[in-house]
Amino acid sequence: MPADSPKPSLTSIALTFASISSTAFGGGQKASVRQQVLARGWMDRERFMDGLEIAEVLPGPNILNLAIYCGQRVRGIPGAVAAFLGASVPPFIIVLIAGALYFAYASNPFVQGALRGCALGALGLTLGNALELTWDERADWLRIALLIVTAVAVSLLRMPLLLVLVIFGGAGIVHEYLRSRGKVDE
Amino acid sequence: MSKTAETILHLLWTFAQLSVLGFGGGKGIIPQMHADAVTHYHWVTSDQFSQFYTLGKLVPGPTTIFAALIGYAATPARPYLGAAVATLGMFVPSSAMMVAFDTLWDRFAGSPWRTIVARGLAPAIVGLVWSSVWTIGRGTTALTFSPGSFRMLLSVAVVAAVTLLMLRAKVAAPLLVLLAGGVGVVALR
Repeated sequence: MPADSPKPSLTSIALTFASISSTAFGGGQKASVRQQVLARGWMDRERFMDGLEIAEVLPGPNILNLAIYCGQRVRGIPGAVAAFLGASVPPFIIVLIAGALYFAYASNPFVQGALRGCALGALGLTLGNALELTWDERADWLRIALLIVTAVAVSLLRMPLLLVLVIFGGAGIVHEYLRSRGKVDE
Repeated sequence: MSKTAETILHLLWTFAQLSVLGFGGGKGIIPQMHADAVTHYHWVTSDQFSQFYTLGKLVPGPTTIFAALIGYAATPARPYLGAAVATLGMFVPSSAMMVAFDTLWDRFAGSPWRTIVARGLAPAIVGLVWSSVWTIGRGTTALTFSPGSFRMLLSVAVVAAVTLLMLRAKVAAPLLVLLAGGVGVVALR
């Protein structure tokens, strides 16, 4: 960002993220944020990629975290709040409208058919996501074993999420640490 | 304390915990959210949970926004309050962590720990995504049609087709959900 370029107003930060969060889906959201933020000169590419990395590591929706990062970088905490509102209020209103329609018409047989079909679609997407992510792990059988054990512990033994992250997340981190140290030693 | 006030506090506490544990973009929290909202508190039925999750996939923005619908259903006396509280619980704690870490993060610039933590958590998150498939699948009523019936076979075929189209043809997610909905209107009434 050139030193003389004026800081964006809080309104423009909120509106930028509101326009993205009310129109973009899934992975397309990150691409939209990248395009908008770089085009407006709010930060350079390297800064943005850094933010994307944090947004993906920390808990919370990637798109919301990314919006907050960008807002905070250009206008500090008020910028982060503006970005949070822009990224979360439109989806909240849209999902409530969808929910109101759901509660009003869920007993109509045509709507029931549509909902059944859509639920199958959402399940297919989740299954596709699981397959895609598992494929990424194929190089290391220990990581594959870890993800199978996690799935069994959660699905069949109903292990609580906190415990899952501590035990299996912890095991993954230890494994990754040892692997990275092995590389350094070589 | 009134029933509604009690539910509001439970919503806030439940979703705030899910929020801070929502690593991997929140993909991994679905099984725990189901355990809390369906099994423990009975805010929604398993079918409703799957349908709300579906609405979350259909609308723009983060999927976990469907927390709003669970809050809406949990507090019949004050549905919009329940929706707002569940959403704030779901999004504010993780966002606050993001703000707090932003300054800290620069100090770890170039530190190998950034990759170690991110890559190390991944297998557990992927395992949780498989559990989400299990959780959502069990609440999907179209899959409970009698085994071997035409509607049951069609339902399985729709799931398989959506999965293939997503992986191979890279068709946009909401479009796939709507296409599946179209099949439902015609054949799954």
